Amino acid sequence: MAEEKKDVVKREADVPSRAERTSSRPTFLPAVDIYESEKDTVLVADMPGVDDKSVNIELEGGVLTVTGEVSDEKCEGHDLVYAEYRVGDYQRSFRLADTVDRDKIGASVKNGVLRIVLPKAEQALPKKIQVNAG
Amino acid sequence: MAIRDLIPWRRSSRELERPRYGDPFSRFQDEMNRLFDDFFQGVAPRRSDWTRELGQFEPSVNIHESEKEVRISAEIPGMDQKDIEVELTEGGLSIRGEKKLEHEEEKDGYRTVERSYGSFQRHIPLPPELDTEKANAEYKNGVLNVTVPKRPEAESKKKKIEVKSS
Repeated sequence: MAEEKKDVVKREADVPSRAERTSSRPTFLPAVDIYESEKDTVLVADMPGVDDKSVNIELEGGVLTVTGEVSDEKCEGHDLVYAEYRVGDYQRSFRLADTVDRDKIGASVKNGVLRIVLPKAEQALPKKIQVNAG
Repeated sequence: MAIRDLIPWRRSSRELERPRYGDPFSRFQDEMNRLFDDFFQGVAPRRSDWTRELGQFEPSVNIHESEKEVRISAEIPGMDQKDIEVELTEGGLSIRGEKKLEHEEEKDGYRTVERSYGSFQRHIPLPPELDTEKANAEYKNGVLNVTVPKRPEAESKKKKIEVKSS
């Protein structure tokens, strides 16, 4: 089978059934990579157009919600003549496992990529248990 | 044997005998022709191994135009400024680079990968009236913006021709 180039297409977020969108701008689900190791889980989200001031992370009831605001691309006097992507805000929610140490969650944004580190709580770390002869 | 040989009807033989406009059967046949054309156009050409580096994903671009300049924006989050190559020739704009995947050596970690990575290359043809010498490229928050001003003479070359009624 011929190798196909992957087109980067933004997925539009589902609007929760109880709430309706009030603006005409779309909201997208950012693409997220999740890496899990022994000591932490790292989420890496692609959110082009977002910087540390326009991103918001909230944790409520075990659900981590990430939102990013993107300002319009259009400048004064410019017309959009060709578009392959639409510009809009980002939002995505994740249910956190109980093993996450909520107080030590850290996040940083660089070049439109948000990195969230979710360290695992002490008691969740694998421990070696001594076996005594007895 | 071309794919077209499998299609029982041929366009060329129909050209001369245009049935009357609105005839539902010829409209239907037109639609079916179009359907097959669109379908087979989507089949990717077979690539040889050496072309593998030519691109693994294609970032999307938007183009804005004003009276004075053309601006091309591309969403390429997670790059290092120095890893993006932007080239302007008379033919157009060429953007290429490679987005590296982090965490290459994850040992037994569970992982989900949704983001695109790998090498990319896009060539965007540009109109001839641009002043490529004065182009400017900026990478901010994961969005690359290349602004190319238009040559001032190009604006005056446009002549409006009045349509007179006779």
